[in-house]
Amino acid sequence: MKKKIIWIIDDDAIYQKIIEKIIKKSGVISSHTSFSNGNEAINTLKNTLEDNKQLPDIILLDINMPVMDGWEFMEEIKYLKSKIDKRIIIYMVSSSIAPEDKNKSKTFTDIYSYIPKPVSVNDLIAIVSNE
Amino acid sequence: MFRPKTSGFLLFLFLMSAVVIISIQRIQMTCEARDNEMNVRLKDIHQNIEQSLKNCYTTTVSLALSIDDEGVPQNFDLVGKKLLQSNPIASAIQLVPNGVIKYIYPIKGNEAAMNLDILGSNHLQEEAKKSIETQKIYFAGPLKLAQGGTGIVGRLPVYNGNKFWGFSAVVIKLENLLNVPVINLMDKSKYEFQFSKTNPISNKEEFFLPSKTDLYKSYYKYINIPDSDWNLYLIDKKPFAIYNEIIFRFFLGLIISIVLGVFTSKLLKKPKELELLLKEQEEKLLGNEMKFKSIFDQSAIGFALIDANSGDLIEANNKFCEMLDYTCDEIKEKGIVSLTHPEDLYKSTLNFKRLREGKIKEYSAEKRYITKSGKLIWLNLTVSRLWESNKKHSTNIVFIKDITLRKEALALIEKSETRFKSIFENSPLPLWEEDFSAVKNHLIELDLMNKNPEIVYSFFNENPEELYKCISLVKIIDVNNECLNLHKVKNKALLLENLNNLIDSESFDAIKQQLVAISQNVKQFSIDSRIKNMKGQYRDINLKWNIIEGYEDSLERVILSTQDITERKDSEKAILNSQQYIKSLVDTIDGIVWEYDIETLACNFISKKVKQILGYSVKEWMESPTFWQDHIHPEDRELALELSDSATKQKTNIDYEYRMITKSGEIVWIRDIAGFVFEGDKAVSCRGIMVDITLMKEAEKNLNHSLYLVTEQNQRLLNFSYIVSHNLRSHTSNIESIISLIESAESEDERNEMMHLLKSVSDSLDETMSHLNQVVNINTNISLMTTPLSLNTYITKTKDILSEQIHLNEVSFITNFPDDTVINYNPAYLESIIYNLISNAIRYRHPERKPVITIQCYKENNKDVIEISDNGIGIDLVRNGDKIFGMYKTFSNNKDSRGIGLFITKNQIEAMGGSISVYSEPNIGTTFKIHTK
Repeated sequence: MKKKIIWIIDDDAIYQKIIEKIIKKSGVISSHTSFSNGNEAINTLKNTLEDNKQLPDIILLDINMPVMDGWEFMEEIKYLKSKIDKRIIIYMVSSSIAPEDKNKSKTFTDIYSYIPKPVSVNDLIAIVSNE
Repeated sequence: MFRPKTSGFLLFLFLMSAVVIISIQRIQMTCEARDNEMNVRLKDIHQNIEQSLKNCYTTTVSLALSIDDEGVPQNFDLVGKKLLQSNPIASAIQLVPNGVIKYIYPIKGNEAAMNLDILGSNHLQEEAKKSIETQKIYFAGPLKLAQGGTGIVGRLPVYNGNKFWGFSAVVIKLENLLNVPVINLMDKSKYEFQFSKTNPISNKEEFFLPSKTDLYKSYYKYINIPDSDWNLYLIDKKPFAIYNEIIFRFFLGLIISIVLGVFTSKLLKKPKELELLLKEQEEKLLGNEMKFKSIFDQSAIGFALIDANSGDLIEANNKFCEMLDYTCDEIKEKGIVSLTHPEDLYKSTLNFKRLREGKIKEYSAEKRYITKSGKLIWLNLTVSRLWESNKKHSTNIVFIKDITLRKEALALIEKSETRFKSIFENSPLPLWEEDFSAVKNHLIELDLMNKNPEIVYSFFNENPEELYKCISLVKIIDVNNECLNLHKVKNKALLLENLNNLIDSESFDAIKQQLVAISQNVKQFSIDSRIKNMKGQYRDINLKWNIIEGYEDSLERVILSTQDITERKDSEKAILNSQQYIKSLVDTIDGIVWEYDIETLACNFISKKVKQILGYSVKEWMESPTFWQDHIHPEDRELALELSDSATKQKTNIDYEYRMITKSGEIVWIRDIAGFVFEGDKAVSCRGIMVDITLMKEAEKNLNHSLYLVTEQNQRLLNFSYIVSHNLRSHTSNIESIISLIESAESEDERNEMMHLLKSVSDSLDETMSHLNQVVNINTNISLMTTPLSLNTYITKTKDILSEQIHLNEVSFITNFPDDTVINYNPAYLESIIYNLISNAIRYRHPERKPVITIQCYKENNKDVIEISDNGIGIDLVRNGDKIFGMYKTFSNNKDSRGIGLFITKNQIEAMGGSISVYSEPNIGTTFKIHTK
């Protein structure tokens, strides 16, 4: 199985460290990049639009973040989609159990699935496998 | 032949014409005589004056001759004296060489004229030049003389060797000139003399003698005097005196003409009148004869002359013959007796005999006769003896009238009376025939006829004895059988006997009303009343009366009916009771019951409850056709009318709610439930009930508010639970992941690293728990203590806490509220709220300008509002408006942003029953408004 490039967009610094450990443990991720809000990720995305090697295969996107939250990120990426020649699978990853968050994620066709935290090694392997 | 009046008038015209002609001729003659007299007198005067002037001419010529060739007068005084002696009217003579008076005789009295320059004087030179121009003597003046008085000056131009030397002049006093015998002898009462001259300068005629007569309104004659331009006038002082006599004669002639005219007219009338009188008498005689003949022949009644002894017909008129259908000769031939009905013959013969014997002078009889066709007729005969002077009684005259029709009519009337009597007696209605004439007469005596009905009614109220009197004056002529049944009496006599006992006090009012009606000359009357029958039972009756035709004035015959309406009254009472019961029931319903007519949309009924619910009376509602729509709340009117119209069109029941405005201006919620009343298939009216649901609406409002509060609280709790869940889960999931990683750790270092992470999670979790605890505490403080707090104190306190940051960032404050502003709030919350908002304003300051924080406090809708504004970086509310007050919601990269301050602030404000709102623009600034409860 080809290793994947994964972006983690989450403002929780501890979670970022944990997910890095899990990525290492899974062995299915070739590289990962962490962003503390959606805005940072969008800016990076805009800079690497034509470089498929830099562009992620998978994005694990948190909902509640400062500056630009997960929903705003989804709105912004709509405008960049046509310029990207790579399939990016986006997972909404959140601690929220509010039904409206889960329901809202379904309204975005670009969100592959809604995954409640915590994300385990097996979950990550499954995510990559699903791809 | 002229008629007398015409003849008289023509004579009057003739005499008047003669009078007019004579009068005109008389006037002409008198005028001619006067003219002749005046002309003669004027001529005499003229001749006298002319003679005097000629003498003056001679005097001037003689004086001129005294001038020698050298132009010097010789022996002037001597010549002058002689000349004056020869001319008595001249008062002085003058020689005027070169126009300057140098010689005057006599000098005494004329000194003033000496050396007077005639040609140099403006008013003298004109006339002086005339004599030079004409080279003749010219009499100047009359003028005011320099030596005094009025006079005339005759100037003769003198030439010495064809050269003008000067004037030889004579001065004549005016009174001397006019002192001629003819003038003096003139009748001054009749004529007046006037002397005039046309002023050479003004060209106006000037008169020199005093006069009271207006020349131009008088009759006058005048004559011009040569060499002087003078006019002599002779004026008739009484120009109209000649007419007085003429007018007198004219009127005398007029009166004589009228008298003669009238006299002639009267004279001519007499024979005419006599002639007319004769003719009239002739016509009268002829007329009488004709009249008698025509009366006899064409009379509507029959005449006959009967032989007083034999009873044979002598002569009969046409009418009598027509009655019997025989000719006069046929009657004579058959004999009167044979035509008489046998049953009437005896009585007729007896009367005829008594008349003949002179026992009676005349007799009348109604007899039957048999006509030619065999028909029986009734004739009324009046037979009397016919007397001719100095002759024996031999003839009877008979007046005959056909009474067959009257006899037949009487028979019919008798039959009819019998029939009507039977109807009266057997009528199902109780009928009375009464006589009110005595009652009316008594009302006349009381002076109540045609008086105001109220006055009449009051009179009988105040005078019950008069009421009884009137009752007693009613005469009952007859009653029918039904009356006996009504009053429960056996016969009429008993009824009349007990009538007074049957009149009950309850019927007094009806009796008074009847008396009022009689006083007003009412011909028909109807009233509901009550009687008591012989068994003591009360019966309701409808009493009606009509005055029988022909008795309207006397009221001698009045027909009354007293219909027993007891059962009807009982039914009416039952209906009335039922209606009152329903009305009472309707009025007790706790709602306004109403009914509208579908056709007219007029309100038929509105229950009294309208007063209690809306404050308006039933009358106020009924008076205005648009009362309902006018009093609907303006905001509800359109919809309510729309629903009402729709229901009316579709004839469907309707149940709707709207607000109405009460009389006192309050708002009442109404629930209106309406339906339609059908008669057959047609809806005739709309009925409904309007229920006051104001209390229910208020309860509903309170309930809704409570529901809203509960829902909101639930929502907040739910949100909070999500927040708690999310925040806790983010930590627990991290713990779960770390534990999993510890379990799968391959080295001690790795495990230690995880343990270190676990401690971080623990700290973070502790902090989250602390925040959540704060929020829980805020929301669980049900009864927060509030106290009056000085806003200024709390601002100062916050400034102290943040003094380092304020100083470092050069923050300035603007406070727009009085120093003593007091807010009722929880102290801890107020401190926290102000701290959070001011610290946020400093934290999110704009990098390019110094922070300015404005704090205001004012009232809005009677509630305190605290407003804190800054000029910081601002917030994009379009993007972040929904999460500005959310927990852990941050939207900047500020390292101090925790996303908890505004969340806590909002919770604190809402826990105090208030609200917070935000207005912001990126790069401009942000304003937070705190609304207190």
